[in-house]
Amino acid sequence: MGHRGESLLRFLKATTPSALGLIGVIILALPVRFFGGFAPTPILPLVVVFFWSIYGPNYLPSLSIFFIGLAQDLLTGGPPGLWAGVYLLTQFVVMSQRPYFIGREQQVVWLGFVFAAASAGLIVWLVMSLMAGVLLPVREHALQIAATIAIYPLIGSGFGRLHRRVIVEA
Amino acid sequence: MDYLGQDRREGLGRKANSRFVLLLLMLVSVILLLSSLYSAQASVFRKAREGVIDAASPVLEFFAGPIAAVQGLTGGIADYFDVLEQNQALRQENAELRQWMNEALELRKTIAAYEGLQSYQAPPKATPIDAFVIGESNDAFTRSMIVNAGRGRNVETGQAVVDDDGLVGRVVETGARAARVLLLTDVQSRVPVYVEDADLEGILVGKTRGRPAISFTASSEPQEVIPGQRVLTSGAGGVLPRGLPIGEIADEADDGIVVDLYSNYARTRMVRVINYEFPAVVAGDADVESDGAGADDADVDTANEAVAPETGG
Repeated sequence: MGHRGESLLRFLKATTPSALGLIGVIILALPVRFFGGFAPTPILPLVVVFFWSIYGPNYLPSLSIFFIGLAQDLLTGGPPGLWAGVYLLTQFVVMSQRPYFIGREQQVVWLGFVFAAASAGLIVWLVMSLMAGVLLPVREHALQIAATIAIYPLIGSGFGRLHRRVIVEA
Repeated sequence: MDYLGQDRREGLGRKANSRFVLLLLMLVSVILLLSSLYSAQASVFRKAREGVIDAASPVLEFFAGPIAAVQGLTGGIADYFDVLEQNQALRQENAELRQWMNEALELRKTIAAYEGLQSYQAPPKATPIDAFVIGESNDAFTRSMIVNAGRGRNVETGQAVVDDDGLVGRVVETGARAARVLLLTDVQSRVPVYVEDADLEGILVGKTRGRPAISFTASSEPQEVIPGQRVLTSGAGGVLPRGLPIGEIADEADDGIVVDLYSNYARTRMVRVINYEFPAVVAGDADVESDGAGADDADVDTANEAVAPETGG
């Protein structure tokens, strides 16, 4: 493979986490309806942000996270800056705990994600309630956060394989 | 067990993640959030939203088709098992509708006779724009849909959106190819309505949960409503045309009169955007729709006249 091809490949690998985050945003806007009603769609970008903040912060720069969050805010019609701020805060907190998470078993990391997702959910609920002027119903939001937590082991192990075999390894 | 511990200085640049940039961007997010509190309709935000909707619409459109096909398939399987009951119900409904049709034909003749009178001025006709739902916010707090028609097809912000059952919501952002529809259930949704046969006007307020409620009524006295009465758009505010069916009164709760919507958002696939210009705007100068001058010389009912200047906003 030539030099050009190699650098293209490296660029593709480097941008994979950011692209996954954007795909997660698109999934949040697709008209998927199960059982004739609200489907708790997992918030995939949160998984992406959490995972790469631990295992490869250099692959997911803050600027990417900012734009992923902003895209989600604008596409789903929420207040701009909300999810961007929440994702950046997640990265900030998770990166400060990186030495603890690195090399730990996946169950421990998952427990970390439970805390991260729950806090993110709480912040979003508080801000949205503040902006609406009333305490918004929690049930569907809690279901969505629960769905995100529930898929983490599956998605996380998929990301793990992707990260080790494709992105980091040549 | 699964261990992960690699860390290499690669990725998007060597020092892709400095703490300073992270904190700076967090600050930017907070500032964005705070400024959107005070100026949610600022043109910068609106342009950004419209740009994002436009940019995402080809992707959404690409996936919306297959998703609908799969959902139609699963729905079809479910339908297969109660074909008999459905058939019976449809036959009964058909018989009732036939009676209505005869009545409507009679009425059409009567109305044509009245319209023949010289003093009659026909209200402006609404032109519907057909569109598919290509996206919706799968978010617990924001309730909106994205449809594949925008400015290119004369869709404008503020227009009503209906499906074959009733009002779905109204357009809040319009891109070139796609537009966002704020659903009646969104917590930000406020639609002026009236209750048929109850002499009650009010504002339908979204509650995020399934059913919105008429929260603010024109008179402060408690109003008598009967479950089953129809709720329609009142046309106050000069944005939505009068008389679009919304739903039926379900019951009265502490925070208002709960309304059962006619349209079922889980089934809404195709919608019509109603391009309707108010008589006041048509009669006056179309260019100065945002000042009150147009409303003075036109003969409009008081509800429209009072708030007609809002049209441009």
